[in-house]
Amino acid sequence: MDIITEFAFNIKNDTLTSVSLLINDNIVFALLVLALLFVAERRNEKRLKVIIALVLVSVFTFAIKAAMAIERPCVPLGVAYCPEEYSFPSIHAAVAFTLMIAFLDKKQFPLFLLFALFISFSRLNLAVHSFRDIAGAMPIALIAYYVVDVLWRRYWNERGK
Amino acid sequence: MNVENKRQMFHIIIGLVAIVVLTHYGKGILMGAVFFTIIIGLLMVNATFLGRKIRLVEWFKKRLERSNVPFPGWGSACYAAGVLLAASFLEDQNAIIATLIIMALGDGMSTLIGKTGQIKLPYNRKKTLEGSIAFFAFSLFGYFFVGPEIIPIALAAAFVESLDIPFDDNITVPVVTTFLFLVI
Repeated sequence: MDIITEFAFNIKNDTLTSVSLLINDNIVFALLVLALLFVAERRNEKRLKVIIALVLVSVFTFAIKAAMAIERPCVPLGVAYCPEEYSFPSIHAAVAFTLMIAFLDKKQFPLFLLFALFISFSRLNLAVHSFRDIAGAMPIALIAYYVVDVLWRRYWNERGK
Repeated sequence: MNVENKRQMFHIIIGLVAIVVLTHYGKGILMGAVFFTIIIGLLMVNATFLGRKIRLVEWFKKRLERSNVPFPGWGSACYAAGVLLAASFLEDQNAIIATLIIMALGDGMSTLIGKTGQIKLPYNRKKTLEGSIAFFAFSLFGYFFVGPEIIPIALAAAFVESLDIPFDDNITVPVVTTFLFLVI
């Protein structure tokens, strides 16, 4: 374990663990992300763009996990909640970072940043991910949102002509 | 020195600093430093979007930023994302160093030399053959770290950098380089 992962894992708090375990459930996390998106963004067009980016990020991350096949830090610990899929990179963190980047030009951005950092911290706290998995999720989110943004602008510009 | 030359010199220096951090302090420290730099940078960009004037962002905008970018600090954000991509995806420290050399020396020198070039590329009239050759030649410094496998990777990266596509080369170059290091 690296220093950051070890530091986060060694913070023991029952409430934090309960919240982290709740977020560990993929369906709960997906609903939370969609709820945040729909509350913070009123425009359907932008909502659709962000959802496309979130789907793209999830697919990319899932494929990279399978290709790189890196074991989770929780496997040697033998904890019951340890997910079966591979570790690198973190889908939770990649999705949270993508949502954060989508609000870069909005006043809600610091809240989405805190959300993304909390999600990342909760993954380290449960030892389901290492800091490397979180760090790897960041460029994937930036690149995926950038690709969707470029293609989206082209599509809407074409439609406008 | 014009903005583009200053920008490339800045990228070369940052890339070399990243190599020093990697070799002296290790991959974990490099990932942590770049990760938190991106977080702080995005917070500053957000503040700029909301109308606040931040000296560091203004300095970047005035001295190092291209005019047609989505937000101030765009080039640096892409570059930092590229460094983080290589540092987190690649296990081998030498492969990370070779990627940083391609991003810093290859990409940087291709712009500096390519601007004075005479022979336009047939598939992209905005780039020159001299620039692509400079990209490939300076990327070969990676040979000292990864050996002959740098040759196909440098060639592929030089080709991708020369393409006329709507994506920033600070993103496309590290993506292609990292992918090839993982595959080869």
